[in-house]
Amino acid sequence: MAGAALDTARPGPVGPEAVIGDIGSTVTGIPLVHPANRRWWIAFAGALALLGVFGAAIAWLLLNGVGIWGNNNAVVWALDIASYDWWIGIASGSLLVSAVLLLLGAEWRGAINRIAETSALLCTLAAGLYPILHLGRPWFFYWNLPYPNTLALWPQFRSPLVWDAIDIVSYLVVCVSFWYIGLLPDLASLRDRAHEAALATGKRHGRVWRLALLKAQLYGILAAGWRGSASHWQLWVQAYRTIGLLGVLLVISLQTGASVMLAGSVLPGWHDTIMPVTFLVNAVFSGVGVTAALAVMIRAVYRLEALITERHLAILARLMLCLGLASLYCYGTEFFSTFLHGDAYARATLVRRISGAHAWAFWTIVACILLPVQAFWFASVRRSASAVAVIGILVAIGAYADHFMVLVVTLQQNFLPSSRLAYSISLWGLATLAGSVGLFLTLLLLFLRYLPVVWIAETRRLALDPAATARAAAREPSDPLAATEGDPRDAPLWGVSAEFASESELAAAAEALNRFQSAHVHLDAHGPVPIPNVLHALRIRDRTIRPYAILGALLGGGAFLAMCIYATAYDDTFLIGGRPRFSWPSFVVPSVSFAMMSGTLAIHLALLVLNRLPRLNHPAFNIPGFSRATAERFFLSAEAQGDAFDVERIEETLADLPAGAGRPITIRRIVR
Amino acid sequence: MAQLFSPGADAIYRLSLLTALACLAGVPVIAAAIMRSDYVTGVGIAPSQPAPFSHKHHSGELGIDCRYCHTAVETQATAGIPPTHTCMTCHSQIWAGSDMLKPVRDSYGRNEPLEWVRLNRLPQYVYYNHSVHVTKGIGCSTCHGDVTAMQMTYRANAFEMRFCLDCHRNPEKYVRAQDQVWNMNWTPPPDQATLGPKLVAQNHIRGGERLAECSVCHR
Repeated sequence: MAGAALDTARPGPVGPEAVIGDIGSTVTGIPLVHPANRRWWIAFAGALALLGVFGAAIAWLLLNGVGIWGNNNAVVWALDIASYDWWIGIASGSLLVSAVLLLLGAEWRGAINRIAETSALLCTLAAGLYPILHLGRPWFFYWNLPYPNTLALWPQFRSPLVWDAIDIVSYLVVCVSFWYIGLLPDLASLRDRAHEAALATGKRHGRVWRLALLKAQLYGILAAGWRGSASHWQLWVQAYRTIGLLGVLLVISLQTGASVMLAGSVLPGWHDTIMPVTFLVNAVFSGVGVTAALAVMIRAVYRLEALITERHLAILARLMLCLGLASLYCYGTEFFSTFLHGDAYARATLVRRISGAHAWAFWTIVACILLPVQAFWFASVRRSASAVAVIGILVAIGAYADHFMVLVVTLQQNFLPSSRLAYSISLWGLATLAGSVGLFLTLLLLFLRYLPVVWIAETRRLALDPAATARAAAREPSDPLAATEGDPRDAPLWGVSAEFASESELAAAAEALNRFQSAHVHLDAHGPVPIPNVLHALRIRDRTIRPYAILGALLGGGAFLAMCIYATAYDDTFLIGGRPRFSWPSFVVPSVSFAMMSGTLAIHLALLVLNRLPRLNHPAFNIPGFSRATAERFFLSAEAQGDAFDVERIEETLADLPAGAGRPITIRRIVR
Repeated sequence: MAQLFSPGADAIYRLSLLTALACLAGVPVIAAAIMRSDYVTGVGIAPSQPAPFSHKHHSGELGIDCRYCHTAVETQATAGIPPTHTCMTCHSQIWAGSDMLKPVRDSYGRNEPLEWVRLNRLPQYVYYNHSVHVTKGIGCSTCHGDVTAMQMTYRANAFEMRFCLDCHRNPEKYVRAQDQVWNMNWTPPPDQATLGPKLVAQNHIRGGERLAECSVCHR
């Protein structure tokens, strides 16, 4: 499955001149020698100022309580839940786009996947604060979690507040995992570039050297000893795609769950059956909008026009257009069905949405979500970077207006006429929202500064042009054994390594060495991209990580469901609100979330353990020029694991392979 | 290519990861253990009082009834701390010159109450009534322990919510016959399994669901 997607690499989405190594240096160059320093600092100062506003808003909230949000009326959540839904909506949309593109094997995704995943992660962080802040006593947030407490009470598992707590924790874990696993090979790339830069300083002592080395080591610790081995890549591809799948399921559960929470109440305007779909569509829509806007901004600031091309923008624009039409359909259906067969209260709510005290929210939706995106019918608009960015941001603004409208218009006028007090947005509510944007921007800028903004491994794969690598190979010396002359003969041997310019040559050489493989000879291949072609020769083609994922998800989700049922139906049967003893439907949403989190953790663990990672110090790093295994070179290594390791025969077999069909550039003996 | 990390780095890295995981699991466990420890709950710790009053001597050895001092326990929410006059009913006659009782005599002379250090304290959001517990067959020692064995008085139970709920969910395990309420050495009789439900019905205790409702204690 993964192999098929990876084999379809063809040039196109990246510029024709891009060579595999250049892409890496363009992108790794951003964190290593930051090119837009002054602009970055100005932006960072602005973001920090907003973050300061957030700090002040939270401090004032802790001092005075949630009343500062102007919610001494029926709109008890003020902006809080609208903001939460908005952030988690953008996060869901970003994650969904990235994961769906990954699962569909869209080969151009590399340029925007990292941006989408980072946006998802940071939005989740911003979202996660809101449910905590709106508790009257935020420092007791952990009362929402099922921990062995001295109260002899369980959290109320039938309550959406607990769903939120489990959802957010699970979503954060899945987001971080998805983001980190995608980042892992790129971190190794950064580690090696930083290490090369440190070695290039020419010194071996002093502050400059130590700082440069420390930088490389920090990236090295984050990369957890990634060597780009074929077996690493094999499980990595599986892990990445499986977590993507779990992420998609989690997003669907989370967004539909968010709408079902509202539908569980008696208030009008929250019961249309299309509501879960509307939530999901608008979430994905806002996620794509924010991702597109961020992609355009990053492209402009860091001059990444060669990587994030017009074609990417046009695809994002088309995606937005489709989602815009879907969104239009959802709004239209809600109007149509409510006016056709809704009850009087639901109809009144719709009328209030259009013409009530908060009608501006509805007209903002029209002006920001429904109308501007129609400009993408024109090809010239789809190719305009600024148009894509502006419309993307407008969609995000409209999405906020949507959450505001859905929550506030319904809440403000409930069935008790005496409760119908006016609600207006308070300054502190706005400050909290602006502050959370500051949190997002601060973390985003730190990410841009220190981590690769574009998925190096994926974009590099696209540039794997056989002709270009063949040309590169032609420039190399033709006698591969020449370098071994200098290698130590009597030191304890770890193995033999061979260097190649392309994946096909590596695969041919691996096939040739296949017959040597035994308990005494362990073969492995290393490269900057997944190397599915050698898995057969290495005899690891059938390894799979998926049973761990399925087992983890089933065990985790089942255990959570069992806990909910035990807690509410057996341990503490607390029957209020007409709920039946076995109210299993209310446990589905948190159980699904928990299952996705457990599956993700299981995959993460399996990826590390099966690959024997983390391993910071490894004999493979002794291979001369091995740092190019994360840039543009491929290495085959035969590791001596017993006495029957015939080093001369392996070297001869490799050297005798025909040029261009498996003959290495160099063959080296590697000491332990 | 030189190694970026020394061979020992792996051991340190893996150890750090394991330590971080252990902390993730261990810190809540340790925090929970501290919160439940006698150091925090004060169980079993006798603070120094203005006068070294011994429940063991007065109630256990001399056999003074609880209600002689805690007069309101059957009729009011609080059991009542005795005024100095109660002490002086006897101690104006016996041990009248004792140094140990000087604070009591001073209190009596100044007409100011003794300021005992309070042991059993409930949060202000908990409504508790002694009279209903005592008259429905919940004995003193169920909450306060065997006070007749305490030389200096200490807190016998941490009054955490689970302590209250344990009984409120299963009152039949703790309810006593009316003549056993003041028995400080009471242990459930062999027939508690049959006697308990009978007493619960007889005393109109609506156990289980009704007694476990929030508003029974949090009004």
